Amino acid sequence: MTKELKFESPTFTKRIKGMLGVDFYRLFHTPMFYIFLVIAAIIPAMVSAMTMMPDQQGNTMEPLYSNVWQIIAASEPLYVIRSIADYANMNMVFIFGGIMVSIFIGHDYKSGYVKQLFTTHAKKQDYMISKSLVCAFAMACMCLTYFIGGTVGGLLVGYETAVSAGSLIIAILGKMIMSLGWASLYTFLNIIFRRYFGISIASSFFFGTGILIIGVAAIVENLSLPTAFLNLFLYGSSVNACLVSNVGTLLTCIAVSAAWAVFYNVLGTKILSKSDVY
Amino acid sequence: MNAIEIRGLSKSFRGMYAVDHLDMTVPQGAIYGFIGENGSGKSTTMKLICGHLVPECGEIKLFGRDNDDPGVRVRVGALIENAGCFPNASIYQNLRMQTINLGLEKSDEEIARVLRIVRMEEHANLKFKSCSLGMKQRIGIAMALLGDPALLILDEPINGLDTDGMRIMREILVDITKNYGCTVLISSHILGELEKIATHYGIIRQGRMIMELSAAEMDTRVQVFVSLKTKDMAGAKNVLAKRFADVRREGEYIRVYDVDDTAAIVDHLMKNGHIVSEIKKNKIGLEEYYIELMSASDTVKEDM
Repeated sequence: MTKELKFESPTFTKRIKGMLGVDFYRLFHTPMFYIFLVIAAIIPAMVSAMTMMPDQQGNTMEPLYSNVWQIIAASEPLYVIRSIADYANMNMVFIFGGIMVSIFIGHDYKSGYVKQLFTTHAKKQDYMISKSLVCAFAMACMCLTYFIGGTVGGLLVGYETAVSAGSLIIAILGKMIMSLGWASLYTFLNIIFRRYFGISIASSFFFGTGILIIGVAAIVENLSLPTAFLNLFLYGSSVNACLVSNVGTLLTCIAVSAAWAVFYNVLGTKILSKSDVY
Repeated sequence: MNAIEIRGLSKSFRGMYAVDHLDMTVPQGAIYGFIGENGSGKSTTMKLICGHLVPECGEIKLFGRDNDDPGVRVRVGALIENAGCFPNASIYQNLRMQTINLGLEKSDEEIARVLRIVRMEEHANLKFKSCSLGMKQRIGIAMALLGDPALLILDEPINGLDTDGMRIMREILVDITKNYGCTVLISSHILGELEKIATHYGIIRQGRMIMELSAAEMDTRVQVFVSLKTKDMAGAKNVLAKRFADVRREGEYIRVYDVDDTAAIVDHLMKNGHIVSEIKKNKIGLEEYYIELMSASDTVKEDM
């Protein structure tokens, strides 16, 4: 005699809750997440300390920063970088974040666990959305440890501390919000290159450095064109979240991050739905 | 209702069909032995059912619903190629993740239940990478069993297992179909083992379903025969051939096919002056039947 079977379709919320639950469980139970948090804290501290180290002749190097908070965010939107100081701020989290996302998704495939996820989740969007959100959370946490590391390092070195607190908070919040857009981009890249772990990491690194936008910014600057449109991109908006930020900056970050997150999630879901996943 | 109904399913890789307009019907509650040589399309079919691969054409219905229906897919448990576990996580952690994924309440009870079924209650804290192959296969089954699956898809679950491991796996599969009402689609190269548990068979070759039949139908198709030895094998064969339709010399034995009356054979031989030194009743097993079917299929191809 066969058993009477009932099939209830799980709601979107229930499906996402399940997938998010697994991803968060995995995130908190793997050393990788904590290692990246520590890396995010150590890097700014090291950058601060290195700027005060004497060179081979015993001369103290010219400090890269004059203010503690420049380690966190640039003093103004610097789309074109002229020194490492223009570049080495919280935006670096988005580069490490890319590597972290590649490892996180790569383990899904390497272990074969992704088969369990795709067997029980018929809707491919569940995977994209869950990975984007969990990785965004991880990157936002890295922003916080970067903030702690940068602040402690900067204070120990003895930089000035004067700042507009509001702008600083908005800059940090803005960068944390940008994590969603970045995480969606990296999830998308890792979906495309899921069979090639090396290319996944390389592509994440490439986009994370913002090299494309930096290049465009250099052209725009040479042509004396307005730079505001650069804020439509993930890197541009991340740079725009600086020590002169205002509420408008924060709203731009929210809009840009959300728009790119939706774009990459929709595109990633389409690609996943039309291609072999394992 | 059928658990799986596939019509005209195709999938190719680099222009070569791995699954070629496949039709397949798995009745609900069956243990369906999916048989075929390497590269015949078994794993590809299973991956298509699980939604890991996108079909080029065709239709897959699970319990009367499309296979991309979330309601039915959440009730599918699969073990395809490997258990799909994180090597550095413990068995418990791997199972815990799957209970979260499925949104199961009382996850610890559920984990204990499936570990009991696969007889691994005492190993929950062992890291997955420290497990033997047999244990990993059983963990894979445990993962697939979480959340009351209606359909289990198991790709070569008994490969690499020792005799005891195979026996345990066999008992587990019979237990879950009997007691949990699960339908099982299982592929294996070890046809002797499959024969012991399967209620239905599907034989696939080069991506096409050659034959589907129930175990009862298989029994009517497999030949019974009597094998025997005498001193004068050639003479005995000639004597037997006069009375029985299908008599063959195979190795050290004479085989008399489609006959199971050993007494009649012995009597006939004795009347003709032949003394039987050894005699036994036999049945062609699934493996021999499969080999014969494959040979017949080759012959048909050559003739074409």
